Amino acid sequence: MEPLVRLHGITVRYDGRRNGGLVAITDVDLDIYQGEVVGIVGKSGSGKTTLLKVLAGLIRPVKGEVVFNNHKLNGNSFRVGVLFQSPLLLPWRTVIKNILLPIEVLGEDVSKYLSRALELIEKVGLKGFENSYPWELSGGMQQRVALCRALIHRPSLLLLDEPFSSLDAITREEMWMLLQDVISHEGCTTVLVTHDVREAVLLCDRVVVIGGKPGRVRAEVRVDFKRPRDLKLQYTKEFNDYVVMVRGLLGD
Amino acid sequence: MRLSRSRTLNSLVVLVFICVVWELVVDLLSIPQYILPTPTSIASTTIKYYDYLLRNLLDTSIHALVGLALAATFSLAISLPLAYSEVVRDTVYPLITGFNAIPRAALVPLLALWFGLGSMPKILTAFLIAFFPVLVPTLTAMVTIEKELWELLMSFGATKTQILIKVGIPRAMPYFLSSLHMGLTSSFVGTVIAEMVASDSGLGYVILSSTSRLDTALAFSCLILLALITFVLSKVLSVVERRVVGWAYRVST
Ligand SMILES: Nc1ncnc2c1ncn2[C@@H]1O[C@H](COP(=O)(O)OP(=O)(O)O)[C@@H](O)[C@H]1O
Ligand SMILES: [Mg+2]
Repeated sequence: MEPLVRLHGITVRYDGRRNGGLVAITDVDLDIYQGEVVGIVGKSGSGKTTLLKVLAGLIRPVKGEVVFNNHKLNGNSFRVGVLFQSPLLLPWRTVIKNILLPIEVLGEDVSKYLSRALELIEKVGLKGFENSYPWELSGGMQQRVALCRALIHRPSLLLLDEPFSSLDAITREEMWMLLQDVISHEGCTTVLVTHDVREAVLLCDRVVVIGGKPGRVRAEVRVDFKRPRDLKLQYTKEFNDYVVMVRGLLGD
Repeated sequence: MRLSRSRTLNSLVVLVFICVVWELVVDLLSIPQYILPTPTSIASTTIKYYDYLLRNLLDTSIHALVGLALAATFSLAISLPLAYSEVVRDTVYPLITGFNAIPRAALVPLLALWFGLGSMPKILTAFLIAFFPVLVPTLTAMVTIEKELWELLMSFGATKTQILIKVGIPRAMPYFLSSLHMGLTSSFVGTVIAEMVASDSGLGYVILSSTSRLDTALAFSCLILLALITFVLSKVLSVVERRVVGWAYRVST
C-alpha cells in the first residue's frame, strides 16, 4: 500500500543571526498511511514541532521531499487541520464563527458548512454553545472548539501539537476519549505530537520516537491494541510494557 | 452599578469641598479677582456670558472633532499599508516618529500663513497633535499577532491580506477606540492653541482676550467648559467602546 504522505530525507535548518543557524531535524523519513493515527514522541527541543510544521507546509525543508499521494510537493498543497497547545480562538468571534474561519479563508460558501459545523459542535459535546464567546468557555471547552475548527474543512491530515498539555489530568483523559471518538467518526489520518508517552500509546497505532541533536527518527513502535480503546487499558500490563519500551527508546 | 454611583457622589462631595476651600481662601487672604477669581464669581460670569461662551464652545468643539475624525481616519488608513509591509513600515515609520518630535504648536504660525486665519489652522493643528497617539497603538496591535495564530491561519492557506483583515483589524479595534480618548484631549489642545495664535473665535481666543482684559473669571469659565466637554465626549466614547468592542473587556483567563 502506498502511504498518504511520505517524508523523505527531511532536514530543517533555522536561520540564526549568530552561529550560522541551527539544524533542528535531519534525514527524517516517515510514512503516514490513510486512516492511521501516528504519534511522535521526543524530548523537548527534539524537533517534534518542526516536523509537524513541515507536514503543515509551514516550513520548507532545506533537504528532502514531501510526497502526497505519490505527488511530490513544494509548499503545502493538501489540506491540513492544525491544533496547537493553546486554542488560539479569536475572542471577537462566537464559537460557530471561530469554527467556520477556515471556510471563510478558503473562500468557500460558508452556508454549505453550517450543518457540518453544528454536527461537529454536537460531536464534541458543545451543543448550545454555538453563539457563546470564547471567554465564556473553560480551557477544555475552548480546545474542543479549536478541534472543530481544525476539522471543519475536511483536512487530509489532522496535525496535533501537544494539544492537551495545558489541561488538567481529568480533562485530559476526557479529551483523549473525545479525540479518539472524533477521529474514528471523521476517519481522518492523524499525527499527534506529544511528550506524554502514555498519551501516545493510548491513542496511536504507531509511535515514532525522535531524539538527538539534530533530531532524527530513533525508532518506531507499532501499538497493537485495536481501536476504540478504553481509559482502563492504561492499567494493564501490556500497556505498561509499551510505555516502558517507548520510554527506553527516548533515551536520556 | 450602585458602587459606581456612590463613587460618583464621593467625587462630587470632594469637588464641592475644594470649591468651598477655594472660595474661603480667596476671601480670607483677599486675593484680587483678576489673580484668582472665586468659584461664585466664575459661576456668575459663566451665566452672564452664557450665549457667548456656548457659541465659542461649539466652535472649538467642531474644529477639534473634525481634526480628531481626520486623525482617526488617517491613522487607520495608514496603519494598513504599514502593517502589511515591513519595508514600508521601516521606511515610513521613522519619518512619522521624527515628525512627531516637532512641537506642533510651533507650526501654527506657518499654518496661519498658508491657510489664513479661518478654520484650517484649527483643524490641522488638532489633527497633527492627535494622529500620532491614535496611530501607534493601532499599528502595534496589528503587527503583534502571535506567531502561532499566524501559523494556524497559514496552515489553511490564509494570505497576508486575509490575516490582516480577519485578525489584524478586529484585534486593533479596542486599541484604536481607546486611543481616541488620548486623541480627543490632544485634538482639543491643538484647536485651542491654534485659536490662541491665529483666530478670532473659539474658547482659545476667548481665554487669550479675556486674560488680556484681566477678566480672569471668564478665562476660568472657558477652562471649566473645556474640561467638561472633553469629559462628556470621553464618556460617550466609552459607551461606544463597550458596544463595539465589548469582547475585549470580558476576556477571562
Ligand atoms: N523559529 C525557530 N528559530 C530558531 N530555532 C528554532 C525555532 N523553532 C525551533 N527552534 C529550535 O529547533 C529545535 C527543535 O525545536 P522544536 O521543533 O520546537 O522541538 P520540540 O517541539 O520537540 O520541543 C530546538 O532546538 C529549538 O530551539
Ligand atoms: Mg513543540
